[in-house]
Amino acid sequence: MLDPILEIEKLCVAYGEHEVLQDVSITIQRGQFACLIGPNGAGKSTLLKTIVGLVRASGGSVVSRARQIGYVPQQLPLDAGLPLTVAEFLSLKLTRSRWWFGVRHSLREPIRAQLAEIGAAHLIDRRLGMLSGGEFQRILVAYALINDPDFLLLDEPLTGVDIRGGLSFDGLLHHLHDHRHITILMVSHDLHLVEHLSDVVFCINRDLCCLGHPDEVLKPENLAKAYGHLPGMVRDAGGSAFIPMANIH
Amino acid sequence: MEFLDLPQMQRAFIIALIAGPVAGLLGTFITLRRMSFFSDAISHGAMTGVTLGLTLRLASDVNSPAMQLTLVVFCTAIALLMAWLFERTTLHTDTVIAFSYTGSVALGVVLISRLHGYRKLEGALFGDILASSPADVWIIAGLGTITLGFLFLNMRALTLSIVQENLAKIEGVNIRVLNYAFVVLIAVVVALLLQQLGALLISGLIVVPAAAARVMAGTFRRMLIFSAGFGFVGAASGVFSSYHLDTPTGPTMVLCDVAILMLCLGARSVRRRPGEARPPAERQSETA
Repeated sequence: MLDPILEIEKLCVAYGEHEVLQDVSITIQRGQFACLIGPNGAGKSTLLKTIVGLVRASGGSVVSRARQIGYVPQQLPLDAGLPLTVAEFLSLKLTRSRWWFGVRHSLREPIRAQLAEIGAAHLIDRRLGMLSGGEFQRILVAYALINDPDFLLLDEPLTGVDIRGGLSFDGLLHHLHDHRHITILMVSHDLHLVEHLSDVVFCINRDLCCLGHPDEVLKPENLAKAYGHLPGMVRDAGGSAFIPMANIH
Repeated sequence: MEFLDLPQMQRAFIIALIAGPVAGLLGTFITLRRMSFFSDAISHGAMTGVTLGLTLRLASDVNSPAMQLTLVVFCTAIALLMAWLFERTTLHTDTVIAFSYTGSVALGVVLISRLHGYRKLEGALFGDILASSPADVWIIAGLGTITLGFLFLNMRALTLSIVQENLAKIEGVNIRVLNYAFVVLIAVVVALLLQQLGALLISGLIVVPAAAARVMAGTFRRMLIFSAGFGFVGAASGVFSSYHLDTPTGPTMVLCDVAILMLCLGARSVRRRPGEARPPAERQSETA
């Protein structure tokens, strides 16, 4: 039985005169692992930001039936000297009042449990600026998982993560989807990961180019629709190597 | 405590004890938001506010309440203009600061040439905390209360926005309002401390204790406590030292802050914080 958690109808988003998304319609069913692919500047991150309300739509509708949405933003460079610890960062989300002055004693256990679930309990007292790309990405996931979301949006979570970190992150996503039954919508350039994890793939380049099961979507002729031309090669998992497009199928 | 026998020293000491920790705490967010030069640009631009006030006869001298009001209005206008330019143009932050800074200073110099009596400006350049009136003590106390109130009421939002503004927006924080309110707060603090510390030194009182705290603190909470604490110690020892060494009070306060920073840098160079991990780049270079 169909049970949509997200219904987007004819969505249009513009930054000033520049239209970023044009008549995009997407439906995601509860329990699905959906991936969003497309070239740089295609509007993938904008789509996620529109869903969480960071960007206002200029037309169309976004209807979410999620109880709680978790959002993992695209990773930005962080000040390496920022003296904010992982526990302090997570406590910012756990604290509901405007007043905040570090980690309250009563919050340390919930924070440790949250981190333990994603295999990062050892990072609790580390400073954010000292984390590697993969570690910081896990902490952003832990942050998004606070308040027990049933729908998780991830914006290029593997940017800057090495192969080992990528494989480990792959396992984390499996766990969240299969064991916590969280519906996931992930933006990724990593076609191996997309093929491996997703139930449904949406390929966009301002408008929706194609959608369907990864076996159907990740074909050179479909990718050509979104990317404009066939590069012949695609980036490998972790972004460290290239493989021929033909090897995908 | 012989130096506190004099009423002007008492007032200077009270103002220093309020301004030191408040400026240090404010400096935590200014430095982490990489806005150190923003406060510097406002304080230097404030010189133009002083000359404007004198040229247009809005105030009779640098230490008058009318001048304080003129400075609050002028500094707030410069701060809002810079914040608006950050938001609405594609110019880099340092470019906006550089041209606002030099533009307002240039205007000030042109206006100074119209003034007869440059000496009137000395107080605004270097400040004179010993010239503070009883009313100034109340004004600085009010300023301290407002600044602390703003910072503590918005502590969660300000901290989240340092990591990433989008995370704060999702939590319902109106980032635009927060950013504009923050720059107005910086402008008001600079404007009201100008008479005591001078345009050339205010930034030191704001930035240096926060820099020392950043060097020593392993957590954000400790950085807040250290920056307020270092600001307090620097200000108190500055007033005390200036009395015994017979040196100008404002510059001595900033020198004490700089001495604290040097001590912190020295202490950190000989001892890594317990449990502190090395930066990823350092670790990678070892394993390579």
